[in-house]
Amino acid sequence: MDAVGGKRINIRHIIFILMALAVALPLIFKLGLPLRVTDEVRDVYGFIDSLPENSTVLISFDHDTSTLPEMVPLAEAILRHCFRNNIKVIGLALLAEGAAVGDDNLRRIAGEYHKEYGRDYLFLGFRPQFTVAILSMGEDIAREFPRDYRGVDIHNYPIMNNIKNYKDISAVISIADGDMPLYWINYAQARYGVKVIPEVTAVMATTMYPFLQSGQLVGLVAGLKGAAEYEKLLGKPGLASKGMDAQSTAHILIVLLIIVGNVVYFINRRKMRI
Amino acid sequence: MLRKLPLYICFVFGTFMLAQFFIPHPVSTALYKMVLDWVQIIYALSLLVGAAMLIKHHTLIASKPVAKDRQYSLIVLFGIFIMIITGLFFGRGNKTVFLWIFNNIQAPMQATMFSLLSFFVASAAYRGFRARNAQSVFLLGAAIIVMLGKVPIGDMITPYIPQSADWLLNVPSMAARRGIYIGIALGTIATSLRVILGIERTYLGGK
Amino acid sequence: MKTLILVIIITFLLLPICAFGGVSAIDTPNDDGESITIIWNPDSIPSNNLKLTRVKIERRTSSESGWEEIGVAPFSQRTFIDDAADDGIDYVYRLLFTGENGKALIYRTEAVHSSAQIFNTKRINVLIGIIICIFVLLYYIYRSQKGRQFYVRPIPGLQAVEEAVGRATELGKPVLYSAGRGNMQRVATIASMTVLSSVAEKTAEYNIPLIFPNNDAVVTAVAQEVVYDAYAKTGHPDRYKEDDIFYLTDSQFGYAAAVDGIMLRRKPATNLFMGTFEAESLILAETGNSIGAIQIAGTDSTIQLSFFIVACDYVLIGEEYFAASGYLSQDPMILGSLKGQDMLKVVVGVLILLGALAVTFGFTGFLDIFSIG
Repeated sequence: MDAVGGKRINIRHIIFILMALAVALPLIFKLGLPLRVTDEVRDVYGFIDSLPENSTVLISFDHDTSTLPEMVPLAEAILRHCFRNNIKVIGLALLAEGAAVGDDNLRRIAGEYHKEYGRDYLFLGFRPQFTVAILSMGEDIAREFPRDYRGVDIHNYPIMNNIKNYKDISAVISIADGDMPLYWINYAQARYGVKVIPEVTAVMATTMYPFLQSGQLVGLVAGLKGAAEYEKLLGKPGLASKGMDAQSTAHILIVLLIIVGNVVYFINRRKMRI
Repeated sequence: MLRKLPLYICFVFGTFMLAQFFIPHPVSTALYKMVLDWVQIIYALSLLVGAAMLIKHHTLIASKPVAKDRQYSLIVLFGIFIMIITGLFFGRGNKTVFLWIFNNIQAPMQATMFSLLSFFVASAAYRGFRARNAQSVFLLGAAIIVMLGKVPIGDMITPYIPQSADWLLNVPSMAARRGIYIGIALGTIATSLRVILGIERTYLGGK
Repeated sequence: MKTLILVIIITFLLLPICAFGGVSAIDTPNDDGESITIIWNPDSIPSNNLKLTRVKIERRTSSESGWEEIGVAPFSQRTFIDDAADDGIDYVYRLLFTGENGKALIYRTEAVHSSAQIFNTKRINVLIGIIICIFVLLYYIYRSQKGRQFYVRPIPGLQAVEEAVGRATELGKPVLYSAGRGNMQRVATIASMTVLSSVAEKTAEYNIPLIFPNNDAVVTAVAQEVVYDAYAKTGHPDRYKEDDIFYLTDSQFGYAAAVDGIMLRRKPATNLFMGTFEAESLILAETGNSIGAIQIAGTDSTIQLSFFIVACDYVLIGEEYFAASGYLSQDPMILGSLKGQDMLKVVVGVLILLGALAVTFGFTGFLDIFSIG
């Protein structure tokens, strides 16, 4: 058992080193692989493009800091699109760590487009108990968030003049590293009929597909690849586009590892038979 | 009676939340909002319970001079202390010590943990995807197509790879997933009903 | 008579600019009041080549004389919701349809008042669905209570719990239990507590430590109660260690890091992952695999199932996990509800089949039965 354990650890070490190289090298030496835009990303882009100026979207930063490399490019791309089209953004976070990140993202991207806090965008901050928070905003956003992240009464901001609940919101965009968009679908979309757009980590994408197919979602932007596709549509390559080469090489390495693993498995099986 | 009280509360509020879905009247909405407010108030109190539990647990370990892994508990207590002091006395806004610690210590540490996934996925793929029988050959083939189809290089090899990947995700994978979802949804409905009716009581602590 | 003729003449003169045809106002259905929906049908409004583009909506109460503008909408929109109405007060609406050349047509609605509804009729399908679910589940619970035995197929993952705890006993190592990331509101966490209770009874009997690091303070408190009760039930309350069931952090990867650390330091022989898991699932299961622990997982998170299948020895898939409660406790009421779940699955299956056939043959109206308002 020890010998087997020891052997396994050695193989694991080699795999780990290979993976580190597969991710790091393409970030240093660019490959510039072409990117195809998928329909689900195009749908989101088209929807945001179709919104009239001064519409309001709710962007929820439902993630921890651990997934920032995937979440920030997703957030930046959609925020740039909204601000470029003069769409107002109300931000919030249903996970505690998303609050600081969301505030920073909003402020930074709004600054690029010279948007004014309180008029063009607002950050409401964090609310625990996400189920209750989602339901409660369906009745009255100001009741759930009487004050913004800075502690100011939200009624003082002109952006809130005609906003009471989801009826006044064009879409909810959940930037999430977990299954939070499912709660938005179950409680905000199913109950209050608001449109939901999930922007999730690649690993969560397949969870969203059934809801995408059933028409409960406007579209889907998933992972670094989704963000890179969005950046391509925006015509503004950013963080995600840079990471796509690394993702390709990492996937190829995993495919090769599966093949090598099977070759080793068959050799061992043959040896055992002999 | 004390044991039964939570069951009654659960029944009354469970039934109310169910009925409220069908009643748009302002009286029902007002009650509903009140319930939501109370849930959040109770949750906020549970955060205090969590903090107290955490401090108690690690103080106990740290206070035992012979305790194994004592150093970890000391680090936890030190971290809690530092964050409370910086957050309470020096603010949490932009350009504060609190935010600096959050951005430069907590965030990289968390991202490191998340990035471990890529290593674990690689080693799990190496170990787990074995062509033991016909089914696992299908699984293996599907995995390779989806992995290649979801990155630009798949498209470069042949456009059939991303097309096949989309088909695999949208047809067979979706069919299986929907089956599991329906099973889970029915399980959720049945468990919820058992909870509302007081048949399922383990959540109260003990049977 | 003269007056009557005068009234008729004036009415006819005013008809082109002031009419009820094509426009109407109704109390917005299925809402909590204070809302009136104004409807116009572009096809019924004689536009006389005016190329109408927009509609200005004005209102007044029956007692007022002046009109108050409440909004402007595109002509093609067909409806406008006035959500600033007071319940019980009669309102009359005037719609000014404006064309590209600036000329306008004026229409007026009849008086209408808003009110709150007691029942949302658009959700009647959900109510029927719930009634069917409740009826089926209660029926089988009742039959089970009356002594009817229901068969639950063997679930390998749950059968293996006994073996896994036995292995930990042989090796003299602890059992590690994790309920993942779910809070106490999640049904998966409630189901997890039932499995925990059963596991705790076994660890109490065999006198081996049960470690339960936690992600939620409320779950910790409940778990402490559940485990203590299980230890007391087996007659070994003295073996219960409250310190082994502890709260770690709400943070997802903070939790994963801490549990990994515990695994590497305390080397549990058995890892049980029962609850809601997210991306941390593979980190936990792979670390457990690297220390050679026997691992059993059960979750409602479908995406994590694939990770658990690769790294764990046994996995409870889908509703198998929710069946754990009845399977382990053999409580007739829970077993009855399991049978009810199976019958509901048949109902859902039939509906899916009917839906597929209906849509295939063009009866898309079948889908409307399931839309929720």
